[in-house]
Amino acid sequence: MTVWLEVGGEKRRVELPAEIGGAMECSVDGRPIVADVKVLQAGVLSLVIDGRQYRCVLDGDGVVIGGRRYGFEVVDPRSLQGRRGAGAGADGPRSVKAPMPGRVVRTLVAVGDEVEEGQALIVIEAMKMQNELKSPKTGRVGKIAVDVGDAVGSGDVLVVVE
Amino acid sequence: MLIANRGEIALRVIRACREVGVATVAVYSDADRGALHVLHADEAYRLGPAPAGESYLRGDLILEVARRTGADAVHPGYGFLSENAEFAEACAEAGVTFIGPPAGAMRVLGSKTRARRAADVARMPRVPGSVTGLADVAEAVRVAAGIGYPVMLKAAAGGGGKGMRAVMRAKDMASAFTAASSEAERSFGSGEVYLEKLIERPRHIEIQLMADEHGNCLYLGERECSVQRRHQKVIEEAPSAVVSEDLRRRMGEAAARLALSAGYVNAGTVEFLVDDAENFYFLEMNTRLQVEHPVTEMVTGLDLVHLQLRVAMGEPLPLKQEDVRLRGHAIECRIYAEDPENHFFPSPGLITRLIQPSGPGIREDCAVYEGWNVPLDYDPMLSKLVAFAPTREQAIDRMLRALEEYVIGGIKTNIGLFRRILMDEDFRAARIDTGYLERLLAEGAAPVVEDVPEDVVALAAALAAALFAASARRETVGAPVVSEESRWAVAGRREGLRL
Repeated sequence: MTVWLEVGGEKRRVELPAEIGGAMECSVDGRPIVADVKVLQAGVLSLVIDGRQYRCVLDGDGVVIGGRRYGFEVVDPRSLQGRRGAGAGADGPRSVKAPMPGRVVRTLVAVGDEVEEGQALIVIEAMKMQNELKSPKTGRVGKIAVDVGDAVGSGDVLVVVE
Repeated sequence: MLIANRGEIALRVIRACREVGVATVAVYSDADRGALHVLHADEAYRLGPAPAGESYLRGDLILEVARRTGADAVHPGYGFLSENAEFAEACAEAGVTFIGPPAGAMRVLGSKTRARRAADVARMPRVPGSVTGLADVAEAVRVAAGIGYPVMLKAAAGGGGKGMRAVMRAKDMASAFTAASSEAERSFGSGEVYLEKLIERPRHIEIQLMADEHGNCLYLGERECSVQRRHQKVIEEAPSAVVSEDLRRRMGEAAARLALSAGYVNAGTVEFLVDDAENFYFLEMNTRLQVEHPVTEMVTGLDLVHLQLRVAMGEPLPLKQEDVRLRGHAIECRIYAEDPENHFFPSPGLITRLIQPSGPGIREDCAVYEGWNVPLDYDPMLSKLVAFAPTREQAIDRMLRALEEYVIGGIKTNIGLFRRILMDEDFRAARIDTGYLERLLAEGAAPVVEDVPEDVVALAAALAAALFAASARRETVGAPVVSEESRWAVAGRREGLRL
């Protein structure tokens, strides 16, 4: 089976045998690797390559190896080109989303205000900490989607800057 | 014993009680029904909804539970009601022993301005500045002119870095005064602020005290707490690498003198700023057991909670000052649910994976488990990881080893930040002060030490994806992303900080 990944900003093609476990012949971008794979429990595996052992723990969109976390993303090879920069244009409206669940403490701007990139827009509180969320771009506040006191979930759109 | 707290400190107190055969009563909010402190207690009672104001800060409900269960004593832990003199008085009126100082001593030493006056009476050096609340901006400007800029405005009722503002010159005083005062009003219900000279590049070193009702007060060595971010401690050590036997004795005796002068009983901590010339200045007193007490326990061999219980039962302290001997070195890392790559935003949510370190010299005071949902309503501290070894260098290496073993999945943590600090040359050489960590963070990403070949990372990721991706998607809670910047674009920068 072929797995396409983005790891550390690089695209990788990894070939795995159909049956995973024990000593396996694999390859990364065509370079062969012989690895002994042992699954300890769901999400935790031990890799032995040339006698070196790596404990690998899956954590969401990353894998933790030797105390360090490496983010990765499984990608569809057909969509590999032109990913970078997609949706990151400075021209279109940009939304400010809640980075974590919390409560809206204050809004610092009003709809229609001109704002600078990096200017604080809204304050949300979680775990006793008040966090200012800043504008991703210079522009005009197009929308404030929440009121003071609202509970918000992670990823909820709070403010849109046009 | 009723434990009027939650999290690791509630569990810490419950464990001590069980060791001495004292039955325990836990209290909990709706967010904490499944919390470990509830699971470890003999009895458990609901207080109310998740917000602390409706649960852990409701002294009336807590005393009602004490009455109903026949609890003889209340341990307040730290935070919440631990430094609330009215609650201590209410306990006394209800015939329940409050594990802490008498309300009167708490009032004198818990208010920073009153404590500064008490320090003067006890002939203890303190940071120059006002000893009463400032009436207005004009008075602040006058006092600042007298001691010289830069100065620090501080909340009299303060703690945890709230209500503090550094002021570099007179023209900034008005806005800083308003900001500090209103923040203090919001956080502590009192807008009283005072002013201190800003000591440049100080170390934060504190003395642990334990006093009994018979006029004995021991100092149990110092803790070095200079590694801070936004005035919050991140790493603590005992002993301090820069405190000599003589300085320890002088600071300890001064701290004990202050406590005795106010009729202090039970565990307390006197905080000092120490400058390069080994001058020490009284900063404030914390009238409770502190978060970082385990490092003192490791190097003294004492159990501070056991001592708290004995003192509260009216017993004299079972040892004398000359019996207090420090041995080895202990370091504590406060592991927080926060994201160092993303403005240290809190990261509450479901812990999908927990692999905890163990082995020689490792102690962990922790109250989370795999499957626990870290609530957003409270402090983000997950765990206190402590390494103990014969020397500072060995303790640092032991902590690094433990952090390598540690995996917390599902939420973001600051574990990677500790690896960076503990490998930093300045930290290892003990060249630290209270501005050290902010300077380190301002440097940006640390040079990446790649010990795992890229192809191995790719292979591990592919295997993880092929084997577990389906189940992982089910378990994983939405990872917070603030900016719309590609996660890969920040990958290089984050490596230095990332677990």
